Amino acid sequence: MANVRSPLLYFFLAAPVFYLLALIGFPVVYNVVMSVQEVNLGNIVDFIRPFVGLENYKTVIADPSFQRVFVNSLLFVCVNIVAQISIGLAVAIFFTQQFPGAQYLRGLLLASWMLPALVVGALWKWLFATEYGVVNYVFSAIGFIGSPIHWLSDPSVALTSVTIANIWFGMPFSMILIAAALTSVPHEHYEAATLDGAGAFARFRYITLPAIMPALLALACLVTIYTMRAFDLIFAMTQGGPLDASNVLPLLSYQFSFQQFQFGIGSAIGSFSFIIVFAVALLYVRTLKKEAIG
Amino acid sequence: MRGASRNLGGLPFGGLGHTTIAVIGVALYLFPIYWMFTSGLKTSAEIFARPPTLVPGNPTLESFQWVFVRENIGRYLRNSLAIAIPATVLTLVLGSMGGYAMSRLKSRFVNVALILVLMLQVFPEALLATPMFIIFRFLDILNTFTAVVLATTSKTLAFALVILRPMFRQVPYELEEASRVDGCNQFQTFWRIVLPIMRVPLVVVGALTFVQAYGQFVYALTLLSEQELQPATVGIYSFVGAEYADWHRVMAFSSIFVLPILVVFLLLQRQIVSGLTAGALK
Repeated sequence: MANVRSPLLYFFLAAPVFYLLALIGFPVVYNVVMSVQEVNLGNIVDFIRPFVGLENYKTVIADPSFQRVFVNSLLFVCVNIVAQISIGLAVAIFFTQQFPGAQYLRGLLLASWMLPALVVGALWKWLFATEYGVVNYVFSAIGFIGSPIHWLSDPSVALTSVTIANIWFGMPFSMILIAAALTSVPHEHYEAATLDGAGAFARFRYITLPAIMPALLALACLVTIYTMRAFDLIFAMTQGGPLDASNVLPLLSYQFSFQQFQFGIGSAIGSFSFIIVFAVALLYVRTLKKEAIG
Repeated sequence: MRGASRNLGGLPFGGLGHTTIAVIGVALYLFPIYWMFTSGLKTSAEIFARPPTLVPGNPTLESFQWVFVRENIGRYLRNSLAIAIPATVLTLVLGSMGGYAMSRLKSRFVNVALILVLMLQVFPEALLATPMFIIFRFLDILNTFTAVVLATTSKTLAFALVILRPMFRQVPYELEEASRVDGCNQFQTFWRIVLPIMRVPLVVVGALTFVQAYGQFVYALTLLSEQELQPATVGIYSFVGAEYADWHRVMAFSSIFVLPILVVFLLLQRQIVSGLTAGALK
C-alpha cells in the first residue's frame, strides 16, 4: 500500500473535518461564550461584550418556564426512546418471519420518516384538529371519548400529542435499525434452543435480547440525539404552547433568542442541551467502538 | 439473512395470512399520508363534513390550483430546490473526499476525524442558529441562498460521512493498485476508478441528502427574512401558523411539496434501507 501516506488523502480528510469544525464546532463554542455575556440587539455583531459570569445561567435556572420545559424535554425524550424501541422491536420481529412481500412492506413504513419534520407537524395538526380532525372523529365513533379532546390547546394533553406525532415520525427508522441487528443473530442459536425445548418467549428472552442489547443501547443514544433536536415538528403543531405545555429546550432557546432577543438567556438554555447531547454522544461513540471490536 | 430468524415469532397462520396482516398494518400506519393527499383533493365544504369522507366525494384540483396562483408555491419550490441542489452537491463532494480518505488512510488522524464527525453531528440545529446568524451577518451573506446552503451542509455532511465511510471500504484495494500500475496518480484513481464504482451508494446518499436539505426549516427561518427567498417549509409554516387554517389548501401545498420525496423514496426504497443500516450503528 504505497499511497497510505498520500498528501492528497490527508487533504481529503481535512476538508470535510475543517468544514464541520468551522460551521458546527465554532458555533458551539461561540454559543457557550455568548451564554456568559450580556448580548442584545445592539451588540450582537460585536466581538467584545460585557462579561456577566454565570448570571444568565442563574436567571435561566430560576425561571419557572425553564424548569417546566426541562421536564418536558426529559419526558419527550424518554417516552420516545421507550415507545420507538419497543414498538420498533415488535414490528421488526413480526417482519423477520418469511412471508411474501415482507421486505418491501417493512421498507414502506419508512415513508413517514422520509417526510420533512415540518410537514409531519402540519399534518398531525390537521389530524388532531378538535372539531374536524379525523382522530377525534374516530375516537368518538368507537365510543372511546364522549366530548372531543383538545389535543393541541389543552395544556394537559399537548405534550402527549406532539410525542405521539414524533413517535409516528421516528419509529420506522428505529425499527429498520433493529431489524438489521436481528439479522445478525446466528441462526444456529435458535435451532439449538428449539431442540432444547425453549419456547418463543424463552428464545427471545435468552437469545435475541442479549444478542441485540448493544445495538439497542446505541439506538437509544441515537433516538436521544434525534429527539433532543426536535424543533420543526413541535413548532408547526403547537409552537411549544399552550403556556409552554409542549415546549422543549431547543424551541425555548430559539424563542428567547429570536423572538425576545435575549441572546444570552437563549445561549445559556442551549448550553444545558449541549451538555446532555454531548454526554449521550460520548456514550454513543463508546458503544459503537465496543460493538466494532466485539 | 433469510433463514436467520425464522423461529423468532410464531403466528399460527401461513405466509399469506402474515402478508394480509402486514398490508393492513402498513396501510393503517401510513394513513396520515393518504389523508394529506385526499384532504387536498376535497372541496372546502367536504373538508368540514361530519362524518369525514374516506374517499373524496367530488375530487377537485381547486386547492392545488389555488396554492399555485394565490400562495406562490412555484416560487417556494424553486427556492427549496435552489437550497437543496447545491447543498446536495457540496455534501457529496466533501462527503466522498472524506469517506474515501477515512477508508484508505492508515493513521490515527482517521480515528480522531471519525470521532469528531460523530460528536459534531449531535448538536441541535435550532441551538446553532444564533451563532450561524452572527457568522453569516459578519460575512455579509444573510438573506442569501449561500448562507442556508452552507448551514444545511453542516448537518447533511456528517450524516453522509457516517454512511459513506463503510461503503468506500468495500471498494477492493486491488483495483486501485492496478490503475496505479497503469500510471494514474492518486486523484485520477479516485476520479476514474473509485467514484464510478461508488455510483449507486453516492446516488443513495445524494437522495437522502437532498431529502434532508429540501425539508430544511430552521436555517431558512433564521437566515432568510425576505419572503421572496423563503423555501416551501417556511411557506407551509406561515400557512398553518394562523389560528384558522384552510386545511384543504395546506394539505394540497404539503402534497405537492412532498411528492418528489415520496417518488425518490419509492424508487430507491431498497437501497435507502440498506444504506441506513450500513452506516448508522457501525
